[in-house]
Amino acid sequence: MGELTRGTAPPHAARTPYLLLAPNVFWLLVFMLGPIAMLAVISLHGYQPGTGILDTWSVDNYEKFLGDVFYRDVLWRTLGMGATTTVACLLLGFPLAFLLSRLRGIRRSVLYFLLLLPLLTSAVVRTFGWMILLGNNGFINRTLIALGVVDDPIRMMYSISGIVIALTEVLLPFMVLALDAALLNIDPHLYEAAQNLGARKVRIFFGVTLPLVVPGIVSGSVLVFTLAVSAFVTPSLIGGPRIKLMATLIYQQSMGLLNWPFGAAIAFVMLFTILVLFVVTFRMTTSRRAA
Amino acid sequence: MLWAISAAVLVYLLAPIIVVVATAFTATAYPVFPPRGFSLHWFEKFLATPEFVQAIRISTMLAASSTILATSLGTFSGLALARFPIPGKSTISALLLSPILFPTIVLGLALLIFNTRIGINGTFPGLVCAHVVLVTPFVIRMVMVSLSQFDPAIEEAARNVGAGWWRTFLFITLPLIRPGVVAGAVFAFILSFDELVVTLFLSAPGLQTLPIRIYTYVEYSSDPTISAISTVLIATWLVIGLPVYARFFSVRHP
Repeated sequence: MGELTRGTAPPHAARTPYLLLAPNVFWLLVFMLGPIAMLAVISLHGYQPGTGILDTWSVDNYEKFLGDVFYRDVLWRTLGMGATTTVACLLLGFPLAFLLSRLRGIRRSVLYFLLLLPLLTSAVVRTFGWMILLGNNGFINRTLIALGVVDDPIRMMYSISGIVIALTEVLLPFMVLALDAALLNIDPHLYEAAQNLGARKVRIFFGVTLPLVVPGIVSGSVLVFTLAVSAFVTPSLIGGPRIKLMATLIYQQSMGLLNWPFGAAIAFVMLFTILVLFVVTFRMTTSRRAA
Repeated sequence: MLWAISAAVLVYLLAPIIVVVATAFTATAYPVFPPRGFSLHWFEKFLATPEFVQAIRISTMLAASSTILATSLGTFSGLALARFPIPGKSTISALLLSPILFPTIVLGLALLIFNTRIGINGTFPGLVCAHVVLVTPFVIRMVMVSLSQFDPAIEEAARNVGAGWWRTFLFITLPLIRPGVVAGAVFAFILSFDELVVTLFLSAPGLQTLPIRIYTYVEYSSDPTISAISTVLIATWLVIGLPVYARFFSVRHP
């Protein structure tokens, strides 16, 4: 004690980081990785209504999902919904992020606050707001009819388009924050250089801004797509029981029909899909950098 | 042009929140937008409905318990990741932050199976264990951002004059990163209170949190009581969340 330990750490210090990490790692092993491993095992078991989970081992649940046209459609519908939501978030989020990255001081803080406000509001509350807006008698349809745009209400509740409209709004802040981070990373001197060389605004945008913001587009899109294909609250409330997507199907199979093995298999198809997306984007971004 | 597009997108982004708050004050029997008349009836109905009041109690206890555990685990992890050279650090930090992106619908089912097997499904502790998994990464992130904002030399100086690791942590590091720890705890509390998907899998009839009550209510009926509850929630998170956020993010974005 009291001895100077400049430069060299005391012997016990080597253990310190591991002791600090141990409780958290232990918690995740027990309450996340362990349960996911159990989920994998259960997805390989059979299920008999009335009897429960069987001790048989097979890949029947995966065959049932991937071999049946009905379930394959659920997979494609989910991926299509996720892709549409991601593109919509990108198109709507870009102008907002572009504006945000150019603002300074109090103006930036105000816009930032308006982006954080939805993030502080739970998805179920925001989805409830959309349920009020999207109904056949809702604000949007009444306005469209009053303006003479349509004669009959457009069906948005209990439809894929309604899910995309609401889910895009729910996930939009994530995209804007990802794009804003990438836009802020661009060295302002590049703009000055381009300007001094006589480039016009449009040219600067497509020649400087857009190529440099690609990492933000990629990370924001991967984030939004992942959250969209696994989203449950908005699809189940806006889509209702008739619109089948992977997340609502997992819930219905495991909680409604108590068929945990089949629910588990669909869950792993979802995880695998997301994993493929991660690997593909990782490959693409690293090869871009290498080129 | 950019301003006009951005304004339109902002209206879209804030539309459901505006609608929910506006319909909470409607005098009609169902939520219409724009609201007709003015009434505080739906707030009274909310407070007079025992299921909702009970649900608030359960959600508050759940969020408080999860926050205490998550803040302890997350602060230690954040410290280890930000201040120590550890082999395989990127793998460990990817693991610790993975619950942020991991599909909750999958984790919910996995924990339903696990909790049933070990006999804690449908119990309060079972829910706390799950919520801690979900919210700890946000504490870690906030603590790491906080730690990156001051020089490790300050801690080194304390150790050089003879303070042990714990003394340095308690009297130097912790006070310096307190804004980050508080921001992480507030964030954890709000996320745990609002969590729905995993909770749906793990709750029991006597253990209905507020988000579950809201979800099952709007699934089958629509009345402005839900708008009133949502308005109270939005206002509460604004009051307790925003000052912490504002201070925290203003440091990051001068």
